[in-house]
Amino acid sequence: MKNSKFLLIAVAALLAGILGACANTASVARIHPEAVKGLPNCTECHTDTWGALNHQAPDFMIKHKIYAGSKFACASCHEESFCSDCHAHKEEIKPSDKYFNSPERSLPHRGDYLSQHKIDGRINPASCVKCHGRQNNERCLSCHR
Amino acid sequence: MASVNYYEKGGDVLISHHGKKSKCKWINLLVVAGMVLTAWPMLPPTPLMAADYAISGASDTILRMKTTIDDKDIYPLYEYLRFSVASREQDGSTISLHLGGWGRADLGDKSSRNDNVDGDLQFGYLSFQGAKNNFVFNAGRQFVVEGVAAQRLDGLYVRSDLAAGFAVAAYAGSPVVTEPNLLADDFVGGARVTHSDKKYYTIGISALKSLQGGDRYREEEGVDLWLQPIKQVDITGSSSYNSITNGWMEHAYTASFAPVDNLRLYADLSRINYQDYFFRVTTSALVFNPLTNGIDPNERLLALGAGGSFTVLKNLTVAADYRHYDYDVAREANYFGGKLSYWVPESFGAGLSVHRMDGHDDRLEYTEYRLFAMKKAGKADLTLDVIDLYYDSKARMNDDRNSVTVVAAGSYGLNPALRLGASVDYSNNPFFDDELKGLVKLTYLFDVNRSAEGRTTREK
Repeated sequence: MKNSKFLLIAVAALLAGILGACANTASVARIHPEAVKGLPNCTECHTDTWGALNHQAPDFMIKHKIYAGSKFACASCHEESFCSDCHAHKEEIKPSDKYFNSPERSLPHRGDYLSQHKIDGRINPASCVKCHGRQNNERCLSCHR
Repeated sequence: MASVNYYEKGGDVLISHHGKKSKCKWINLLVVAGMVLTAWPMLPPTPLMAADYAISGASDTILRMKTTIDDKDIYPLYEYLRFSVASREQDGSTISLHLGGWGRADLGDKSSRNDNVDGDLQFGYLSFQGAKNNFVFNAGRQFVVEGVAAQRLDGLYVRSDLAAGFAVAAYAGSPVVTEPNLLADDFVGGARVTHSDKKYYTIGISALKSLQGGDRYREEEGVDLWLQPIKQVDITGSSSYNSITNGWMEHAYTASFAPVDNLRLYADLSRINYQDYFFRVTTSALVFNPLTNGIDPNERLLALGAGGSFTVLKNLTVAADYRHYDYDVAREANYFGGKLSYWVPESFGAGLSVHRMDGHDDRLEYTEYRLFAMKKAGKADLTLDVIDLYYDSKARMNDDRNSVTVVAAGSYGLNPALRLGASVDYSNNPFFDDELKGLVKLTYLFDVNRSAEGRTTREK
């Protein structure tokens, strides 16, 4: 059983290696060639698939998880720390407090979230799990013991 | 069948194990350091005087000031530090090291349940990025987003384009989790295979498996897609399946339509089965326990939403959104509203929004108002943000109907690399009559050309 698993992994790795050697696609630019500030509307320049990453779109936040599947493209503009501001292991400052001078951003937990979290937790607790299910949940213990 | 793993000692549920965590933290750091050092020789040989080197980073020093609900005056001082060094090789590939973390010291009363001093390594990994095939190899603490996985781990990650439009990604390591109530997994691994046509679509299948002490902890499989059948239409979505509970965790799909540049419409659907979705969490706030307002395993949520935005004039946008929540157990609710905003990047912006939550529960009947404005002038910027929630009933809100928060903030660029900012936050809400909070932030950029998002210029 162990041998067959090892064989399967080895064959898959070999196949991936051969396919990778044949691919020869150019990597996405490591640094976005044009400086971009604020929330960019990618359709201003991109007429291809990347135009969909329009950060001003009202549904961008809902869809960004799928776009993040191409994280190497996000990295053209964003450092790893940008993900960590919200998707944290341990964090004690709300994203909206860190970005206090960016009211245009769609950031979670603005305002009096002590009252509001009871409502969000009732409406869609799954939205809590994405950031607080297995990470960044030590503060929940203050009340939820 | 769902199961939870409380620590139990002498019949009492032990809800924390920070002694163990503290030890684990240092072990994890050593593991990360070990992996980085181990991975270094695996990378292609680098000439000592390789083409371009760049070092960049940022420091955010933040002081918060507030009085807590139990009348403690807290003044936690934070230092957030991120650092990266990258070397671009002559063949176009890049080798880089990325580190980021924070530390906190309490200058007043204790700001958390634990120590006066705390901190976290958010990420720390060595990366090789190839000039071809979008090849990436990372070793260390990192955040992996591949299909069903949105996982921070101490481990290895590799992805590459393959021939004929295929691409593959794989990862393995130790999950970086917090365990305030329940034990989490100690190993996670998974992979995602995609097929893309750059003009039309990317479709992926993915799987994740994790173990706790050798036992099955999480086993999830999923499909994800990103379609653009025509330029004006963009469809994204994913479905994930829990192989341990044998049920679908979530289906979430969004379709957008932009017939002209200044109009965008969208609709989304989300179906969540609580029994399968909340199967593995590490906090008691999200465990199955309907008797204590916890999660009801029999609940299933169907959320249907729609919205759109229309740019009436240059920089002036009007938007509307609607979402219907339907449940198998709880009663339904609707959330709808609109927003008017005027935004000139790097100069002036203002917005006004009104939303209404309409549900069959006292807590789910309220109106939400928000007004915000921002003005930049030279090296300074000023921001005002007012959020007001007016509840129809005060029965479930500490005998209060209104929750208002006013945030006034400003910042000033002392020089291209150094910026000082502050915010004052006033709130009158069901928990505080007059709550006042303050925050002072000093940002120092090692690379003066970088922006708030941390965009680097290391390859300029």
